[in-house]
Order: sequence, then structure tokens, then C-alpha cells
Amino acid sequence: MNTKFDILVIGGGHAGIEASCAAAKLGLNVGLVSMDFNTIGRLSCNPSIGGNAKGHLAKEIDAIGGVMPIIADASGIQFKTLNTSKGPAVWSPRSQNDKDLYPLFAQNVLKQHKNLTIIAETITEVLVSKWRVFGVKTANNEEIMAKAVILCSGTFLNAVMWTGIEGTDGGRVGERPAHKISDLLESAGLQRGRLKTGTPPRIHANSIDYSKMRIHDGDAIPRPFSLKTRRVVNSLACFATLTTNNTHDILREGFDRSPMFTGLIHGAGPRYCPSIEDKIFRFADKSSHHIVLEPEGLTADSVYVNGFSTSLPVDIQERGLKSIPGLESCEILKHGYAVEYDFFFPYQLHFTMETKAIQGLYFAGQINGTSGYEEAASQGLIAGINAALEIQNKEPFTLKRSEAYIGVMIDDLVNKSTEEPYRIFTSLAEYRLLLRTDTAYDRLLPLGHSLGLISDKLFNTWERGLGLHDELQEYVTQTKLSPEVANPVLINSNETEITESTRIDHLTKRPDVSLSSLMQISNPVGKYAVITQEHPHAVHQVETAIRYEGYIQKQQRDVDRFAENEAKLMPLNFDYTKVRSLSKEAIEKLTKIQPGSLGQASRIPGVSASDVSILAMYLQ
Amino acid sequence: MNVPLPDTICAVATPIGVAGLAVIRVSGADCIPICDTFFVGKSALTASSSHSVHYGWWKWSGVKIDAVTCTLFRNPNSYTGEDVVEIGCHGGPYVSEQIVDSLISAGARAALPGEFTKRAFINGKLDLTQVEAIADLIHAESKLGVQIAARQLASGFTKRLNAMQSHLEKSSALLELELDFSEEDIEFVNRAQLLEHLSVVNSELESLIFSSKGAELLRSGVHCTLVGYPNAGKSSLFNAILGKDRAIVSELPGTTRDYIEDTKLIGGFTFHFFDTAGIRQTTDSIELAGITLGRGIMEQSNIILVVNDSTLGFDHSSPLVTDVQSMFPDTAVWVVQNKIDNAAGSKNDVKVATGGSSESELSVLSVPSSAISPSGTDVLVSELVSMAKGRTNIVGDALVNRRQTILLKQAQQSVNSAIEALANALSAELVAVDMRQALRHISEVLGTSFNQDILDSVFSDFCIGK
Repeated sequence: MNTKFDILVIGGGHAGIEASCAAAKLGLNVGLVSMDFNTIGRLSCNPSIGGNAKGHLAKEIDAIGGVMPIIADASGIQFKTLNTSKGPAVWSPRSQNDKDLYPLFAQNVLKQHKNLTIIAETITEVLVSKWRVFGVKTANNEEIMAKAVILCSGTFLNAVMWTGIEGTDGGRVGERPAHKISDLLESAGLQRGRLKTGTPPRIHANSIDYSKMRIHDGDAIPRPFSLKTRRVVNSLACFATLTTNNTHDILREGFDRSPMFTGLIHGAGPRYCPSIEDKIFRFADKSSHHIVLEPEGLTADSVYVNGFSTSLPVDIQERGLKSIPGLESCEILKHGYAVEYDFFFPYQLHFTMETKAIQGLYFAGQINGTSGYEEAASQGLIAGINAALEIQNKEPFTLKRSEAYIGVMIDDLVNKSTEEPYRIFTSLAEYRLLLRTDTAYDRLLPLGHSLGLISDKLFNTWERGLGLHDELQEYVTQTKLSPEVANPVLINSNETEITESTRIDHLTKRPDVSLSSLMQISNPVGKYAVITQEHPHAVHQVETAIRYEGYIQKQQRDVDRFAENEAKLMPLNFDYTKVRSLSKEAIEKLTKIQPGSLGQASRIPGVSASDVSILAMYLQ
Repeated sequence: MNVPLPDTICAVATPIGVAGLAVIRVSGADCIPICDTFFVGKSALTASSSHSVHYGWWKWSGVKIDAVTCTLFRNPNSYTGEDVVEIGCHGGPYVSEQIVDSLISAGARAALPGEFTKRAFINGKLDLTQVEAIADLIHAESKLGVQIAARQLASGFTKRLNAMQSHLEKSSALLELELDFSEEDIEFVNRAQLLEHLSVVNSELESLIFSSKGAELLRSGVHCTLVGYPNAGKSSLFNAILGKDRAIVSELPGTTRDYIEDTKLIGGFTFHFFDTAGIRQTTDSIELAGITLGRGIMEQSNIILVVNDSTLGFDHSSPLVTDVQSMFPDTAVWVVQNKIDNAAGSKNDVKVATGGSSESELSVLSVPSSAISPSGTDVLVSELVSMAKGRTNIVGDALVNRRQTILLKQAQQSVNSAIEALANALSAELVAVDMRQALRHISEVLGTSFNQDILDSVFSDFCIGK
């Protein structure tokens, strides 16, 4: 076996896959270490990619040149854009995926890189000398050398699984935990904490009475995540039901044997993705909660019970499920459980995902306190890119809050750290109107291209599309529609009719009128009808630009203001204790985080506005 | 130890002009050795202790500039928190300029406006509100203003802002929840209720902004501009109010070109009076817009007095009044019935204003006056004072300063924009943008959110040497 690499990636989850693919694509010699080859790319929890804000991350990964979106498209069995009742800023793509196909496609993507070696080993040590990483040690005491190590160990550090009051060592059912690494990192000075996450039971597809449930279909026209995917299809549907008061009573009976309520689990759980017992406990007045049954694959028998994440004892889980309409005779294939694991507080990272304490050591995914596949993949991508750039002696690649959700997330992690599993939300983005999924390529494709992760061909095709956008924009501001032409469409969308010829962009401002319908009547057989048909993305962008007009300018002004403070650089390794007037807490936090800019300093909790003012005056 | 700032700064700290004494302030790590290069006294400043005064000569290139006293303050016990030397010399621009030039030749730098205070701020000698209060004290133009500036912090102002903030935060959070969790168990925010919450915040902001107008009077004084047709007697009235012959008065229309300004302290308030050139009446609409200078003055005014020659009829200036009102809808406009002693018709037709207490600024008040008989002018003056009093009564304990007023107005703009967005059924992510902006502005007023512009504007209120 080769024992010398440029970069070693530890862990074959969503972070590890992106990290190793990106580094390999950038020409580095990469080793991906996983305890078991077959577990690479597993969907450990939900058989789904994307969703609120997570869909934004997936689009951004695609635009930079990551692989999750291609794998999700290839293994997708249902595609749906969420939130379409709201404005385009919060539209978010989501897919149901075949949990057996996803890892196969992921492994296939990895195999395509000649300079990427997959190593089935357990890593027990990260080798560090003079605060610089130089390799890892395996369980067999073998050393593998590397210039950089990216640790993507998921929930496996000191992992304990809980079902009821029974705890078992392990990060996933049937898989061993990793003990030694976490302790070693702590002794190297890294501060660790403990978190908890959970997963619901899986039940047999044939044991469900679907007649008592509502169908959740995919979109009429399913759209892929990736620019590289031509077409996707919807082949399966989901079904929705509700818990009942009876369910809640049954589950309450098991509270005294719950590892959460009895204090066996110390780690903080995700507030935004609570277990069913947590929901019943916290929202005692609600008589029912949503349950969505998601098929785990085209050929799989198992169904994921979304909304029923639990670590209650098995007998309670079973009785609880059976009290839900449609699940009266359900057969449980795998019980729900909670996993408790170590993470390292992410304030200890640079924006490149490199640890501040140990050069060449990068962390990505749940080890940084995040939850979610997309969050992990984004971090893996940034870590992989930067580990490669560092070795190549190139400028680091980081994203700002104004550029991408990925930037928002990493900035939050570094500045605010986290005490509970961190999940991305659109409300975390100050510039939500600009960071839409339909602008992901405008924002990031040029960056991915200049990194070398996006091919010239793909980039050039996209660039040609930009011209189309401008052309459309000009057309709608210069073309007027007469009442005879426009009114049928207006009547159709319950809008008031017009009495004189009106510009297309003015008509588009009406919330219930779509630009594509106006384009079709305006130029039914001409060039623009063809554009409308063939380039819905361009039409959608122009429509959004019209509807958001004014607000986009407002956000742009905010971004300019933000950029001003980001450009005010703080000196490196600054001794904040010397600034007498700073508050004690500010000195402590600023010393710990060492912000690169005044803007960053202003986002650190504990650093007050007056502390920032003092720094601002100091910088002048 | 303080973080040593890169350079030593110096400036004349006393007003420029002919005076008995002048003080030059020097601050920074090298200030004591720099002063020692020129100061020849009994002992070197470097060897002296803090808070000591030394007499000696200031010598530059062998030339005795002046006999001076140097007062030494050592870090951190000084105004700036750095080493400071204050050089007392004889007054007059020549000597102090020579001393400053000598300091600069030895490596000091001319201080920028407010730079000493900035250093005091960085070194923890003053906090931002104290800095603002100092600026307010320097600029306060009335006794009441000084008093209120002093108790600003203890006021209910912060409480009112906090209440507004939590109101907005709650609504904003609900909206964000709706955006992020709409596919889950979250119910939609009741738009009517949201609108109601926003209206409450809006009227609260309105009332604070309104009281800021009174605060502005205390700080900057009352700006009062006299306008009127040529020969309406503006300059005579101006002189009568001031009690001196400030403006040139003649029988010929158009005597006053551009404008004349003078200040008088009346009833505890500083009044700034502006006498403007007459506005010619043309057949078409009055060319107010063309009178650039007068327009600028009127824009800054708290009150515009349209001086009417009542001998030509009480309504003679009505077209002008209408125009002024439409151009400055937010400013009080009064009609002064000048030359009332010679006016034809019953003097009882003239409504004597009780106007100072009126809160509506749109109403036109008619005040009789005569530049010839003092009693006529007195009526006008007492009306002006009672208006100023009325305005400042509503200030209460909140002295909303200029910075705060600007931010409050920006917050109100955002709230109004959110209200409009809701009324037009725009989607939630747009309303959220406005709510977030409103919240940001309010937290900037409270000083809980950092804003570089605010910081700059706070310090821009200082003169050099402070």
C-alpha cells in the first residue's frame, strides 16, 4: 500500500467525499480513509438531499464544482421545489433519494479519480510535530504520511448510540466508534464538547395503509440540482399522516426510560430538528405533529418515518407508531436511536477549515458541530480546496457572508462557535434576496472555474446564457402589450385588466402574473417564445429581478456597507489585552478568535458595539 | 500601558484670535522628549513627575520664541490617557503657530479635529455616550439643552427604544419562522396583526422624531427666516427685533441682496434671524425655486416669517404663503402683518396667534407687527418665544440628538416600507428585509450595533485641539 500522500481525508461521509474529490481534481495525490469501503456515501439519516436553505447549499456546491448534486440527481427518486408559495429567495430544491443507490454513485464518482486512493483502515492517531501535521497512524500501528489531513469523522468520535436506557458504543448501527483521536486532539489543546443527534425508525413499505394518508407528490416538472444533469424523473411519492393524542400519551409512558430525560445523554441536541419526545415535551398543547413517510429507495422495502426521530425504548416506539393513522399494523425494520458524539468547538478554525492550533489539519462536517449532509459537504469542499491550495502555495479560497450560504455558515461557526448542532437556515443570511438558488451560478461558477473545478465547456455554456438574460431584460422593458393581447392572461390570473398598452416588466410586477405567460402571448411564434421554452431559468431570473427591484438595491447597499468593514483589516496575532478600554469579555473573545477584520470582530458575541468602536478608532 | 499609537499629535487648544494666553496641547508616546527639544527650564520634562508645571523658554533653532509654562501629565492620568504636555504661551496667532511648527519639525503631527478625544476614547478615558455628551455640551446653545444633555442617559428614551425593539424583534422572528419552517408545523403570521404591530412602532417613532425637533431648538437655537415681497419691510422688522441697525434699510425695493444673519438670546433661547432678499412677484408662479440662497436658508429654518405689507391688504402675500408652504411642508410658516399701524381696515381682522403651542405646523398663523412701534414687534417676539417653549416642552427628558434623529427617521422609513409591502401583499422575505433594517437602525440609536458612519459623525462635531 502507498504510505505517502499529499492529502489524507479521514472519513467517507458527505464531507470526506467532497474534500477528497476536490483535492484530487486540483491535482493532488489523495488518500481517502474509511473503516469500510461499502459505507462510503451512506445516507445515515434522511434519504433526502436539499430542503430549506440546504437546497441553497447544494446549489452552491454544484456551482463551485462539488459532487453531491450530481450524486443526488443520479440517485434521486422524487424532486420538489419547496416554498414556492413564497418569493424566489426562499425557493429551495429537495430530493428523495434511493439510499442504496446514493453510496454506489458516490463510490463511482470517487473511483473516477486516478490520483485518489481509497484505504479501508481505522485511524487511531493524527501525527503532529511542531504544530504541523505529518500523517496518521492506523489501528495496525502503520503510519501513513501526508502534508495535510482532513478529519471528517462524523458522529464517530467517542460515539455512543442510545435506544431507551441502553447505550452501545458506535457511530451508526453495526459500526465501531473511534476513541483515541478525540482524546489526542484534546491533549493537543483543542477544546471539545458533546452533541447528540437522532434518527427515526424505518418501517416496512408493505405494512403501511396508504389509504389513510395524504399523498406528497413531487413537482410536475422535476428539476435536477446540478447544471451537469440533463434530466431527472419522479418515480415515487411520499405520504403524510399525523400523530394523535393517543400517540403522545403512549410516548409519555416511556419518558422515564428515555436516555434524554433521565440524563444519560449529556450532549445538546438539535433544537430545530427535535425528537418526537422533545416535541411532545416542549409543545405540550399541540395535539398532533406531522409525520411524512419517505420511501428509502426504488427496490428497498424500508420507509423512513420523518418527524418521528426518537431514542425511546423499543416497546414504546412500536406502540407509538401503531397509534398513528395508517401505521396500525406497521412492521419496524430498524428502531430509532440517538447518537452522542464528540465535536470540537469551531471557533478553533480558520475560514479555510484548517485548525488554528495545528497546521495542515482540517476539520469538516459534524466534528465542527454541524448537522446535515449539505452542511458537511460544503465544509468538506472548502477544506479539500484549501488543503490543496496550501500545498500548492496558492492563495486560500474563502467565501464571505455576502457571497454564499457556505460563507454564512462558516462565518457563523468561526465567530459564534456553537453549543448545539448547527443547521443552515435562510434567516441566517443577511443578504437572503441576493443569495438565491437561481443566482448560485452567477455568484460562484466563475470562482469554481478559476479554481479549476468547473470545466471550460460548462463555464462557456453558462456565460452564453448571461447574454440571453440581458437580451430578455431589454425586451421586457421595451415591449408594451396592448389590452387585447394582455387581458386574457390577466383575467386568467385574477388580475385587473389594463386599458392602455403597458410594458411587460410593469405587468410582471403583479404577483399572480408570470413572465413566461406574458412572453408567450407577446411573441407567440418568434424568438422570445423559443427562449421562454428553452431557457426557463433565464426567464425566472428576469422575473425575479423585476419583482425584487428596489429591494435588491437595498440589499446591495447593505452589502457595500458590510464590505467596508470587512476591508478594515485587523493586525495579525494582536495583543488585545493592551487596549485598556476594551471589555474583559471582548478581550477574551477577540484573543481566542483573532478576527481578520473589523467586520468579523463586530459579529463575535460578547464584543459589544462600543468595543468595536474602540477598535475602529484604533485602526484609523 | 496603553497601546502606543503610532504618532504624537499637537494642536492649539484655545480659540484662534487675539487673546492674553494660548494653550498648545501635545499628546503621544514621544511628546515629552519632543517638548524637551525646545523647552529650556530648570529641569528637563523627561525627568519630571506627572501633574507638574514648569516655567521656561521655548527655543527653536537658537531663537527664543516665548516664555512658556509646560504642564506635564503622564500616561495614563491625562485627558487622552497618553503622555500629555500642555504648553501655555502668550496669545496671538504668531507665537502659538511657531510653537506648533517647532513641534512638527521634531516629529509631531498636527492633530485632526476631535483627535485628542478619539485617543481618550480608545484609551478608555471616555465612552461613546460621554463623547457625544461632550460634543453636545460644546454645541448646546441653551441652558435647558445643557441640563437635558446631562440627564440624557437616565431618561426614558432608552426604555422606549427597547420596547420598540422587542416589539419589532417578535414580529420579525415570527416572519423568519414562517420563511424557514413553512413546510413544517408552523402557522402563517397573521398579516393584519403584523400590520397593527408595525403601526404602533411607527407612531412611537413619529413621536420621538417629533420631540427631536424641540431638542434641535435647544441645541442649535431657533432658525427664523424673514421672507416677503420687495419692500414689505423685512429689514426694518429684522432691525427692530434685533434692536440694532444691522440691515441697511431704504425706501427702495430690493435693498437687501442675498441675506443677512444675526443672533439674539431671547427668553433663554438662541434665535438665529435671517433677513433675505425680496421675492419678486411675477405673473406666473413665484420663482422661489430660482432663489438658491434664500431657499437653502429656508430649508434649515424652524420657522419662516412671511412678512406682508398690510397696507396693501392682509391677503397681499397669500400667493407667496401658499408657495412657501408647499415647498416646506414640515416647517412652521407665519404671516407677519407688517406696517399694521398704517394698515387700512379693521385691525381686529387680524388673528393674533396663540400659535406657539400649536402642534400643527401646517397652519398659517397671522401675527400683527410694526417695525416702527416697539409694541408691535414685542407681540411677534413673545409669540416666537412661546413657540420655542411649546416645542421644547414636549422634549420631556429625552434630548434626541441629531445622530439619533437621523437614525430614527431611517428606522421609520424602513417601518413604513414594511407597512407598504404588507399592504401590497408582497411576500414575506421582502417584508423581512425592511424589518431587519428597522431593527438595525434602532439598535444603532441604542448603541448596541456598530456603525462606522455614526462613529465618524460623533467625532466630526469636535474642533481641532479637543
